[in-house]
Amino acid sequence: MRRYGLILPVVLFLIVFLVVPYINMVRISFLVKPAGAPYINEFTLGNYVKVLTDGFYWKILRNTFWYALLTTFLTLVLGYPLAYAIARAPNRRRPLLLMLLIAPLLVGVVIRSYGWLILLGRVGLVNEFLRYLGRPPVELMYNELGMIIGLVHVFMPFMALSISGALQNISPDVERAARSLGASPWKTFWRVTWPLSLPGVFAGILLVFVLAVSSYVIPILLGGNNVLVIPMLVVQLLLDAYNWPVGSALAMVFFGLTALLLWAYVKIMNRSLRWSVR
Amino acid sequence: MARIRLHELTKRFGRVVAVNRLSLEIREGELITLLGPSGCGKTTTLRVIGGFEHPEGGEVFFGDRPVTGLPPERRNIGIVFQNYALFPHLTVNENVAFGLDVRGVSRPEIARRVAAILDKVQLAGLGERYPHQLSGGQQQRTALARALVINPQVLLLDEPLANLDAKLREEMRFYIRHLQREFGITTVYVTHDQAEAMVLADRIVVMKDGLLQQIGPPHDIYQKPRTAWVADFIGLSNFIRGTVVGRQDGRLTVRTPAGTFAANGAAESGEVLVVLRPESLHFSGSHPNRLTGVVRERAFLGNLLDYRIECAGHLLRVQADPSRVYDPGQQVELTFAPGDAWTVTDSGDRV
Repeated sequence: MRRYGLILPVVLFLIVFLVVPYINMVRISFLVKPAGAPYINEFTLGNYVKVLTDGFYWKILRNTFWYALLTTFLTLVLGYPLAYAIARAPNRRRPLLLMLLIAPLLVGVVIRSYGWLILLGRVGLVNEFLRYLGRPPVELMYNELGMIIGLVHVFMPFMALSISGALQNISPDVERAARSLGASPWKTFWRVTWPLSLPGVFAGILLVFVLAVSSYVIPILLGGNNVLVIPMLVVQLLLDAYNWPVGSALAMVFFGLTALLLWAYVKIMNRSLRWSVR
Repeated sequence: MARIRLHELTKRFGRVVAVNRLSLEIREGELITLLGPSGCGKTTTLRVIGGFEHPEGGEVFFGDRPVTGLPPERRNIGIVFQNYALFPHLTVNENVAFGLDVRGVSRPEIARRVAAILDKVQLAGLGERYPHQLSGGQQQRTALARALVINPQVLLLDEPLANLDAKLREEMRFYIRHLQREFGITTVYVTHDQAEAMVLADRIVVMKDGLLQQIGPPHDIYQKPRTAWVADFIGLSNFIRGTVVGRQDGRLTVRTPAGTFAANGAAESGEVLVVLRPESLHFSGSHPNRLTGVVRERAFLGNLLDYRIECAGHLLRVQADPSRVYDPGQQVELTFAPGDAWTVTDSGDRV
């Protein structure tokens, strides 16, 4: 009983600021939207019918998941070698490397976007360099590419941190044992190091996917008006169109699909990590 | 199976010389232990033999073949680590099969050999378990099976018993010895536990600060230490400072504050230390070497009584059978055989 007492403050906080608003949103998603008011207390399934039958919403849903998957994939491909280098660095150098890894997170996203402007903008470093080489400029901002660059940049530390944690847990002796048994460095990696780092890989994927799929500020700052994702669309529906019921319904569908995806993911993860269950 | 030869092996880490011009020859089928305190270079030596570290100087030979530049996977070695280093994501069967699998051995052949070796290390029936479902002793035997199943020419053991509880550790010493004899495999065994080294080794290599101190069969290391440091590191020793004043009947005559004794030794002139083991000092007996002292402390060890006896400014450790008991404060006479007194040079670097 005492244990429950300890978590009570957090539970209360979450009920007041998360569960209650969520329930309210579920309620609103079933109400009618009249002209001139956000909603009235009249039950309808019409909002869901609209969201689920409108091809536009499906397209944005598909795009949002695609951007998140792409971001996750790129952070994994780029973050794994980074994580490996950090995990295998000498003990005394590792704190510095970890510091450098999370340094981008210490800078607010707005300040960081100025940095991106300097690098990726029309007169940014990259394009100025291309002009110097006599090449035409590349659109690196205010499009999908810019947004993906920004998302990968921001979420890379989460991926690299969780993988390097898992890699550090692998005893170097385990890799030595594999080598002694005749496995080349390449084989040792794929048959020993990689499978043993999977807990970190799975955690990193989960973390980055959830953060990327729900990101709002970076798509606005780096996607400009040329990219639309569900969080942006929901905000537009709620604040600009003043259509709380459809906005809520869309948010619920989005939540439902994400939850379904994560459920399937966790199933696969648990099957792959059966060996680590104690 | 192969002879191992180390020639002038040197390994540095930055400015630290971990192994300093170590030359060593290990006979085919022999089990040698590398024994020394932590940081003496024993594990580094093992890793160089395994190909996990590259020496700055010197050569390693398996048989007549130089292997110095070869990576571990091309040396055909079996190795067991202190933490066993089992693959946690693989079952016992898969762990043991790993080395055969990467060698491209056929599936039925793998199944047959894995079953045979698991039977040999008494793990039959546990093949489907994951390492974390095994006891420490079972993990240890899995690691041994995994190392032996590939028929390595050399077996390397890096403190393989250090993580087991005392009783199991004792049993496993004999078990490893038995297994090693049965396979007849040339074995290098790293340990800091001298009792383990004594039980297991054909020959012990005592190391300190990267340098070889002494190499020999266990009884030689114990009875004829080359230096004060070795005498102090191996077993319990009493040291009495003295001077060699002559020679009689093939023995040295050493004058000490506690008396003049006949002794053998590694140091044959000048200032020496006389090494006396606690069990070679006797309260009675007719040995020619005699000294007198006062009992200061007495402890009961079960099979022995452990005394501290003050004698001419020295506090001597004496272990005697408990049939006759001496009390603190009591004056006693101790005798010891000339063969049990061993002189070494005082190099000033006892443990």
